[in-house]
Amino acid sequence: MMTFIRPRLRKPLRNALAGTVFAAAWALRGGNAWQLAIVAEVTVLVSAITMYVRAGEDNDEGALAGSRADERQKQLSLRSRALGWNLATVAAFIGLTIAVAVKATWWWPFLVILAVAAFGYLLGLSNYGVAEEIPADDATDGHPARSPVSH
Amino acid sequence: MALEEGRGGLRASDADREQAVEVLKAAFVQDWLAKAEFEAHVGRALASRTYAELAAVTAGIAAPLSTVQPQDAPSPVREQRTRRKISQAELAKSLGVSRQTVILIENGRYLPSLPLAFSIARFFGLTVDNMFGKDTARPGISARSRSAPTA
Repeated sequence: MMTFIRPRLRKPLRNALAGTVFAAAWALRGGNAWQLAIVAEVTVLVSAITMYVRAGEDNDEGALAGSRADERQKQLSLRSRALGWNLATVAAFIGLTIAVAVKATWWWPFLVILAVAAFGYLLGLSNYGVAEEIPADDATDGHPARSPVSH
Repeated sequence: MALEEGRGGLRASDADREQAVEVLKAAFVQDWLAKAEFEAHVGRALASRTYAELAAVTAGIAAPLSTVQPQDAPSPVREQRTRRKISQAELAKSLGVSRQTVILIENGRYLPSLPLAFSIARFFGLTVDNMFGKDTARPGISARSRSAPTA
């Protein structure tokens, strides 16, 4: 679906959509929460517009925001996201440890974060082919292959 | 040093500032500058915005050849590009990468992936070895920037 949308619009639209769903959740909460829903929606729209404007800039951030990153910029983004996830899991581990120590009832959200991170990591290993066992094409019937330069 | 005559008003790049700092370091190591002088000069070099300001910081300091030669030697990519009178933006567009990536490749701060290296070599009608071989690699390139992404 995203391919039909201009690259520059993709991430701002995705963020605006996610933010609108979040604002709707506040509105559904009832009571005076609708005020917070409006604040959330306005913030999200301003953020999306800012992102769209930045996506037009001729720099690395603009390329990433505008979904036109080249290999270096994708690598940059990948490393940054990996760092973000690493920090999140460390924070979740610290939170879980503290929650267990103080006998708190809010320990499980930290565990969920750690579980999702672990599952995502294993899924990545599986999807990207690390688990595949590919035999070497010089494999012999139990005898070690000889190097052409060995005597 | 390598600061060319006639471009004093032009804005200096981070690479130029680093080069000036390298010259100052070499001067400090050889006792041409006292520690306080060295620190003051480095501060001024890092704050310099133009080539003229940079030249003023290093005025009167003989640059040891070992610190200047790597920066003076043009990268093969830059050499080929300037020989063909192609701008960095045009080369970037032809290769399907960002202008920033071309700049970093030319400065030796990013080693392209194998497919991109082939594209660059093919664009200039040369081999990858000619463009990125051991003899043509920039000495200033760090181990970190050499970690090219997997294709």
